[in-house]
Amino acid sequence: MHNELAIMHEHHHDTDAIDVFGFWLYIMTDCILFGSLFATFLVLNYQGMMPSTLKDHINLRVVLLETFLLLASNFTYCLAMLDLYKQKIFRTQVWLGMTFLLGASFVFIEVREFIQLAADGFRWDLNGSASSFFTLVGTHGFHVSCGLLWILVMMLQLPKLKGSPHIATRRMAYLGLFWNFLDIVWIFVFTIVYLLGAM
Amino acid sequence: MTDHNSHQPDYGTGQKKLGIYTLGFIACSILTLLSFWVVMQNQLTRVETFVVIYSSACLQFIIQLVCFLRLNNQTPQGRTNVMSLLFTLVILVTIIVGSLWIMWNMNYNMMH
Repeated sequence: MHNELAIMHEHHHDTDAIDVFGFWLYIMTDCILFGSLFATFLVLNYQGMMPSTLKDHINLRVVLLETFLLLASNFTYCLAMLDLYKQKIFRTQVWLGMTFLLGASFVFIEVREFIQLAADGFRWDLNGSASSFFTLVGTHGFHVSCGLLWILVMMLQLPKLKGSPHIATRRMAYLGLFWNFLDIVWIFVFTIVYLLGAM
Repeated sequence: MTDHNSHQPDYGTGQKKLGIYTLGFIACSILTLLSFWVVMQNQLTRVETFVVIYSSACLQFIIQLVCFLRLNNQTPQGRTNVMSLLFTLVILVTIIVGSLWIMWNMNYNMMH
């Protein structure tokens, strides 16, 4: 009997591992999506194709703030994960709430920046370079917004999953991979779009 | 079969540890500040700035992979994850470098 349980447990573990690998593959395909957007952006901005007017509109201080918001939100997510391993549901929810607030500030600042850019005349339909800028940064912002919604859902789900910790851990692992992936993409967004754009 | 009672499945991405995470966080912060500082000061030549911010971005990428995602090749699943990441990187390099190369050549041939 004990042996059977052990086998079932192993089986659970195995399918969980395969599920998480599937999610990892989804993230890899998302990387390719961002890669194509980066290629488009680079081609339209740095090949002498058309004059880029982005330089005058970049405020590096704001971008630095955004970067640290995202980095800090990743850190608080790790703290949420560690508390989940110890089965402290309430503390996990608090850290998830912190992650949500940091991520929401990031999206808020980005949307404000977009509105400001449009008001200054750097609209998405100005030229190819502006379109590629808004598509690349906007796709990242959209992913972050989806992640925020997901964090909210996770916070509501956690108390209901108290009886089955391994399901909670698996779902948190998905969200963790996704959230971390967004920060990794942002490293390249701020380096290639903002820092190179401001040079 | 080893750690039945542990609530820390690793899914091939290593265990999360606060110490390593904090280290990664601090390293990433320093590198980010370095990148922004170099561009804001504007003291270096264009090429030097390129080198600094690109290597800083690549280092941050590696730090996040190792310290945050905890990628490793210790377990079979970890190796599968790393292999799929490497494959993705090959495709990314093909797309990005390929596009730049083709467009640069077209630009060159049109202008000269």
